[in-house]
Amino acid sequence: MFKAGELALKKHKNSLLNIARNPMQQLLSLVIGVSLVLFIVIPIIYVLARSLGVAEGIITLEYYQNFFARSYYYRALSNSLLLAFSVTAIVVTLCFMYAYMVARMGKGLLPSILRAIAMIPLLAPPFIFSISLITLGGRRGLISMQLYELFGIEFSIYGWTGVILAQIIGLFPLGFMMLENVLRSMDLNLEEASSDMGAGQWRTLRAVTIPLVMPGILKAALLVFIKSIADFATPMVIGAGLPFLATDAYLLVVGQHNMEMAAVLATFLVLPTIIIFFIQNYVLADKTRTTISGQSSVSSQIRMNPSMKGVFTLSTTLSAILIVMAFAVIFWSAFVVIPGVNNTFTLDHFSTRTGWNAMTTSLQIAAVSALVVAFLGVIQAYLNVRMKVYGSKMMEYIALFGMGVPGTVVGIGYILSFNQPPIHLTGTMTIIIISMVFRHLGVGLEAGISKLHQIGISMEEASWDMGASKITTFFRVVLPLMGSSFMYGFIYTFMCAMTSISTAIFLVFPGTTLGAVYILQVAEQGAIARAAAMAVVLISIVAVCLFTLTRITSKTHLARL
Amino acid sequence: MAEEPILQVKDVVKTFGPVTALSGVSIDVYRGEIVCFLGPSGCGKTTLLRVIGGFYQQDRGDVYLDGKLINGVPPEKRDTVMFFQNYALFPHMNVYENVTYGLKVRKENKNSMKEKARSILSMIQLDGMEDRFPNQLSGGQQQRVALARALILNPKLLLLDEPLSNLDANLRAYMRDEIIKIREKLNLTIIFVTHDQDEAISIADKIAVMREGDIEQIGHPVNIYRYPASVYVADFIGRANFLDATVHSVSADNMLELKTPVGEIKINPPQNNFKPGEQAKAVIRPENIKVILDKSESDINILEAEVLKSTYLGAIVNYRVQIGEETMSVELRNPTEKELLSAGDKLYLKIPENIHLIKEEASEEAALKQAR
Repeated sequence: MFKAGELALKKHKNSLLNIARNPMQQLLSLVIGVSLVLFIVIPIIYVLARSLGVAEGIITLEYYQNFFARSYYYRALSNSLLLAFSVTAIVVTLCFMYAYMVARMGKGLLPSILRAIAMIPLLAPPFIFSISLITLGGRRGLISMQLYELFGIEFSIYGWTGVILAQIIGLFPLGFMMLENVLRSMDLNLEEASSDMGAGQWRTLRAVTIPLVMPGILKAALLVFIKSIADFATPMVIGAGLPFLATDAYLLVVGQHNMEMAAVLATFLVLPTIIIFFIQNYVLADKTRTTISGQSSVSSQIRMNPSMKGVFTLSTTLSAILIVMAFAVIFWSAFVVIPGVNNTFTLDHFSTRTGWNAMTTSLQIAAVSALVVAFLGVIQAYLNVRMKVYGSKMMEYIALFGMGVPGTVVGIGYILSFNQPPIHLTGTMTIIIISMVFRHLGVGLEAGISKLHQIGISMEEASWDMGASKITTFFRVVLPLMGSSFMYGFIYTFMCAMTSISTAIFLVFPGTTLGAVYILQVAEQGAIARAAAMAVVLISIVAVCLFTLTRITSKTHLARL
Repeated sequence: MAEEPILQVKDVVKTFGPVTALSGVSIDVYRGEIVCFLGPSGCGKTTLLRVIGGFYQQDRGDVYLDGKLINGVPPEKRDTVMFFQNYALFPHMNVYENVTYGLKVRKENKNSMKEKARSILSMIQLDGMEDRFPNQLSGGQQQRVALARALILNPKLLLLDEPLSNLDANLRAYMRDEIIKIREKLNLTIIFVTHDQDEAISIADKIAVMREGDIEQIGHPVNIYRYPASVYVADFIGRANFLDATVHSVSADNMLELKTPVGEIKINPPQNNFKPGEQAKAVIRPENIKVILDKSESDINILEAEVLKSTYLGAIVNYRVQIGEETMSVELRNPTEKELLSAGDKLYLKIPENIHLIKEEASEEAALKQAR
């Protein structure tokens, strides 16, 4: 007991010594730490406080009572949960089969194409797919009309079908990336050993593959779940007025200015994040199963038996068709007068000054935010890993937590926290950039941390050994070596900033809007073709930037790192 | 042998895109044999093993197991079990579950499963470890679990992929003895793949030396070592000096007189069917050359040489020597103080009479292959 105390004291003393020795670094990390708390933790605390009525100087559960008293609100909760559970189950199942096919096909053209297809939804704001679903299955959609004319069936995609389908497409890349990664890193010898000892392929899948990639499956499920529950735009466009937490929180703020009830809904939105964050970091953290020892004789391809091949191929083909179709329809509706009715080519839908201005603003904001995230990520990673600054683990957790909190909650939190002195930021570009930065900093940080672990310290030691100071070493050795993680942080943040909508929609102000926000507003007003046209512009910008950036990365020395 | 081979591979071809991994391999393996596929990386040995195990489907050719054609039969339906180089133990199952996995798949009843597991685990001295997980075992224990998992199925053919390559020297020796013991106990037929000639020579009944997708020579380790069929084999198994030789004359007692760049030598090779005028390569193992310090003996095949480089290895000393235009390696066991020479020293070498000759066609063909 005494010893432990002594040890803690010593540790404390060491970090105090460290502060004394490196005042600059500690100052820098203090600034980062304070910003993290200010822009990630404080807004959420404001939301929680508001839901308890703290703004009026009292603490009350009145608003929660109201929430449960009105069936409309608690149906929003149950709908959101039901939606998130079903979408998660479907996406994870489809993505598993898709990723299994791709990962077990080895190298070649077909798996590359399939991978690209699975990833393209990343280029667009997730609610975009509602637009193509409406074009196809809306009241006067192509498929609906056909069904009516041929069979007299009245079909409408609005409501549950539309929301679920749109979310499946939008969240597909997330599940796919996670699952392909774990399936690819799995030792194929294990599957071979299982079949060698007489197990059929379905049995091998059940007894060996799935248990081994279970941590990956769970992680994918948690991510998809959070994203689904936080998505407010899809139900808004295609939900036919069904109540959902995120959508109604937004409508309460914008339509009725009922901040208290919005805060209550936001609290229910943020709870799953907190629970899932806990599960990920404490329950799943030690569960990662590593394969042991030896090199495996790699065989890139694996045989599939006919029944398994049939089921997997069918599911993969359907998923791919769904995604490609959703994209194709957006492009098609952008370039014709009225899809299916008047298929004459036109560029009319593109002539909107507000839309183009919004795109330009988006581009600027995304570029600035991405640059800040990339730099901050590298610096914070260095401080965390190499300098072992005070509270570094805590800062990492806060940054990661910031990524998980639903954008709607952050948006409401920002409005509550920064619309009055001491920090009055609402109505400025700054707050939009800040929100983008702190929502994505975790990615830059994680990329930097894993890169630093991978590089190892010996190169820096060599630099010190030859007489370079720590600062010189950072700029001359560390920064160049971390080029790839810098680029990763930049590209990721850029893409998300271009396509994300849930936080930004609370922070845009009259006269300034963002590309994705504009598309949502237009779509909501029923101008589907205009929304599709602007979506095409947005997708093209993101695709071109992405292509250029990855090209630069692979053509320069960064590719070799 | 009148007995039917348990495994017959006939003209098997396997390509991966533009790369030909197997170019028409044939081999027979008999019950109870330990056969080794030996060769450098890329020679196709692992591919052949995986074709036999059913993991790869050959493009052409047939594979028979116990008289039955098994082309296209998937691994789970083949009576062969593979021991993977990285063991491929299921990390989410404990030792007992790993070992009994194959029996469970075969729906064996619980009691006999337990009984079999107990006997196999005690045979490889892993009793009491049933509840451990693979990551709680040492490398050697993991390997034994993998072996138990394969043996418990009593396969017709046990396939071992580089079984000793991940082990340190002590464990290697132990495992080698273990494999030989198991074969005796269970009368298993074993095929294993290695690039390590010592491993092959010490375990195998038959070695198949592979090269560029085909078997270059197959035979008992002693024969492969003493009578290599080509320069490639001679060079891969042990080390050898090669001398270009022309058969000058054949005497009545079958002594050959050879003309070589280092002068005339007389030999009586064990496989002797040479005629005067034939071209051949003489294979002279460094350890077969006798080192003589003073040329007192008036003997045949004595060559004068000069030490270029001396490498002292304790029990052995290695000399790189110059004889006329040629250089050779000479190996001396337990050198005495006097026999420790340094660069520039003169010495005499006695070439033994029983050295092996490779006919020139064989070596020419080999050279051609190498050029390709």
